[in-house]
Amino acid sequence: MNDSISNPVRRVDAYDKAAGYAQYLADMKFEGLLYGRLIRTPVSRGVLTGVELPEMPEGYRYISAADIPPGGENRIQMIKSDWPVFVSDTVRYLGQTVGILTGPDRQRLHELASKITVHCRTQEAAYTIEEGLACRGGAIHGDDNLFADFHLKKGDPEAAFSQADRIVEDTLETGFQEHVYMEPQGITAEWKEGKLVFHASCQCPFYIRKAVAPSVHMPYENIIVNQTTTGGAFGGKEHFPDVIASALAVAVYVLRRPVQVIFDRREDMLYTVKRHPSQVLFRTALDAKGRITAMDIDARLNAGAFESCSPIVLQRTIFSANSVYDIPNVNIRGRAVATNTVPSDAFRGFGAPQGIFAAEMHMSHLARELGTEESEFKRKYFLAKGGKTVTNGTVREEVLLEQMWSRAAELSGYYEKLKAYPPGSYRGIAPAFYLHGGGFTGSGEQEIINGKVRITGSKDGSAEILLSNVEMGQGTATTFSKIAARVLDIPLDRVKIANPSTARVPDSGPTVASRSIMVVGKLVERAASQLRERWGGTSDESVLVQYEHPPWIRWDQETLQGDAYPCFSWGVCIVEVSVDPGTWEVETLGVWTGHEIGRAIDEAIVHGQVIGGVNQALGYGGLEKLELSGGGFAQHTLADYSIPTSLDFPKVTSFLVENPYEYGPFGAKGAGELVFDGAAAAYAAAVQRAVDRKVERIPATPEYIMEITEA
Amino acid sequence: MVDAYYPGSLAEALELRTERGAIPFAGGTDLMVKYRRPAGVLPELPGPVVLLGHLDELARITEEGGILHIGAAVPLSVIESDRRLPYLLRSSASQMASPALRNVATLGGNIGNASPAGDGICALAALDARLRIAGSQGSRSISLEEFITGPGTTLLREDELITEITLRPSDCTRVFYRKVGTRKANALSKLSVCADAAVQDGVITDIRIALGAVAPKVLRMKDIEESLRGSTPEELSERIPDVLAAYEKHIRPIDDQRSTARYRKTAALRLAEEFLRNLSEEENRE
Repeated sequence: MNDSISNPVRRVDAYDKAAGYAQYLADMKFEGLLYGRLIRTPVSRGVLTGVELPEMPEGYRYISAADIPPGGENRIQMIKSDWPVFVSDTVRYLGQTVGILTGPDRQRLHELASKITVHCRTQEAAYTIEEGLACRGGAIHGDDNLFADFHLKKGDPEAAFSQADRIVEDTLETGFQEHVYMEPQGITAEWKEGKLVFHASCQCPFYIRKAVAPSVHMPYENIIVNQTTTGGAFGGKEHFPDVIASALAVAVYVLRRPVQVIFDRREDMLYTVKRHPSQVLFRTALDAKGRITAMDIDARLNAGAFESCSPIVLQRTIFSANSVYDIPNVNIRGRAVATNTVPSDAFRGFGAPQGIFAAEMHMSHLARELGTEESEFKRKYFLAKGGKTVTNGTVREEVLLEQMWSRAAELSGYYEKLKAYPPGSYRGIAPAFYLHGGGFTGSGEQEIINGKVRITGSKDGSAEILLSNVEMGQGTATTFSKIAARVLDIPLDRVKIANPSTARVPDSGPTVASRSIMVVGKLVERAASQLRERWGGTSDESVLVQYEHPPWIRWDQETLQGDAYPCFSWGVCIVEVSVDPGTWEVETLGVWTGHEIGRAIDEAIVHGQVIGGVNQALGYGGLEKLELSGGGFAQHTLADYSIPTSLDFPKVTSFLVENPYEYGPFGAKGAGELVFDGAAAAYAAAVQRAVDRKVERIPATPEYIMEITEA
Repeated sequence: MVDAYYPGSLAEALELRTERGAIPFAGGTDLMVKYRRPAGVLPELPGPVVLLGHLDELARITEEGGILHIGAAVPLSVIESDRRLPYLLRSSASQMASPALRNVATLGGNIGNASPAGDGICALAALDARLRIAGSQGSRSISLEEFITGPGTTLLREDELITEITLRPSDCTRVFYRKVGTRKANALSKLSVCADAAVQDGVITDIRIALGAVAPKVLRMKDIEESLRGSTPEELSERIPDVLAAYEKHIRPIDDQRSTARYRKTAALRLAEEFLRNLSEEENRE
């Protein structure tokens, strides 16, 4: 066995989690704890006209916008601050927070909560992208309901369209998706020695600190956020904890007692953020030989009621709208549309899965139309080193997709199966290709985050990593520790890493955007290497390093032109299905994936990410129907919202191809989101071949497959 | 507070039904979900409950003179693995919920809950199950079909309990069971088809078709079944279009969060057709 860093180790958090020793928020004890229940609007849109309260027994309080302390403002500071802590007049979505009811006994709290009546004057609401664009009921945001309206241009699409031999049109749609982290959202806040202290299941402790500061008018040094062991997040705990924390901040400021809000599953499914539904319209110009000369793309995301991070999600959608293909002339418009649904927000892939699904299915439809085999058609357009992205940035790395394709095709028996299952044979196999830009989009890393990492060495020979990126099940506690141990040349168990507290760690940025290993891991590597220079394991030493942007990057945030990402991770996925001709139920017979992520810091952890990401994506593609119903969601229990079980999809065959990246630790790039990006498209394309009908949206449920085959 | 009674005998359980109006709790996997409240808050059951799972009288499976008696509180995990029971019933039990739930959920509970999507009910309907009902005035027997009157409603009186399910022997060996769920395991049914038939000397001597979750209660059309008895597979083959047309008239599914009415109807008919087609194309194996 070689001594590659990729060789798996036992995860540093495995024992405590497997044995039940890990303390999650609900396990922690607080002296004099009060519970909080959020009181919500009963309508999707309107004006709050009053709240009728029952008589409050001693120890029970209802806290709302009127209780915001002097100097405080009724707003949650995310990227924008349009989302208020408590509704004071305008209601924008069903279940928006009106107030928080607190008290010592949950039974009593529940009884009191059920006696509160929230009165609203109802207005006509807009729920869908179409309704949002049409400003149904009047504009919710600005005068056009657009949180963002971006335009990209590559080459000369107008000229290419004017010379087109023919133009092919297509509309692709994706639905909402619920995160279904195992541990629901929850935060406890307390008042300690003049400071407001949060214990939060979250991805971004420093985001919470920033979010709550305006509402209680307190400086950052008096707000402390401690991440608690987090049972999954998938993006759902990037911004949404800010919403709970802000209400708690006001409550604890008033009460000076610890207050806890932990959602139950139903509440979590109904009232927390979801993946953005999308609608992507393509117009593609083909020349007489059937070659693509230009694309015109109109991408719309249902952003929900408040802006949150929708413009940045939208950027990733449009930057991914050509997937791995180098199309010479492209016009792209992207719009994030305000509606009266729960705000859409971050979810593994952050807009890329929508763009890639649309691009892959459109390419698949073009291949069908032209009578060309799908993989052969797609491979003609692969980006290569030096190729131009849709933002006119440059691909800097060798693109190994051909090599990955050969391996995946061989492992899956793709070409034999293609012959054996002609279109319409109710068996199908299809590929998807995808990429994921590493780290924050655009200039975020250097201009907004500028992450810092500290490593301290002690005279007992141990070292501690101090950073704000959280372990949430994805394995970062282990991978960061491996990087430090390897560079410092000390055993893994001599490296300590704890759940971060904003009072203790430097701000290395949020745990998002597949940046933890690539960007923050690099800081760990640099800090460890500097520490090694002056620490022999017999003294106390400390090193702080700060982010340095790769020097070659050119980016203009105003025009969205240049290198949107310093590098990309790449993937290929092949899915084989059979469709029951009687019930249109899909049996997935095989899944083969290959990924290029620079270098794996731990192969077992990456493999876990692949299996989890692919299954989550197959659920997105085939099972996870989440429909709006009267402004809420029709599927709001785990009985009705179907995430995959271990029987739904087969073993995932997975391989990695190495291609070390200079600015990642040991050559590592991002992996956590990439592995989600492609499987839904491969699944949909396999179903499409099986029934020989165009699949235009996901989830491709049996009901949908029936609709297209029986049409 | 929720009052939960733990009776020492069936007689005591019946007394609690009569005197306290206690709700039968035979596993509780439907009740605890239906009346659940947020974490830290007790379920809001509409009255006291009487726990039944521990009563020996209700937890036995016996066979007397070819008739199977299945205690109403026998857990599904026992039903799925008891080889004395019809394959159709075992198949359906084995695909309900998850292993943990099957350890506590019971067939009596499934019947009492009377959901149109109740998987056990559909299988039992195809098996012509009868129920033994005990009350303060003695016991009675009633067919399952008669007992369930609609979604969530039954003929169980306030002083009664379902004590057992009885199944007569059948010659049926051509078993067809298809549950179409929201996913492959731990799923609720969008629809289900439970059917079986007996073929002797080239003639269909018995046939039963039950369609679940496509109407307010399990759909069984005995007149059609009767008309198919005595047919040869070839004769059946010619009758299939008419038979399906008759079913189609009586399938009245709903649109809900799990599926659409159109899908339920189309898939149920396709599966019924698959069963009939298999039967009609069968070579004479006897």
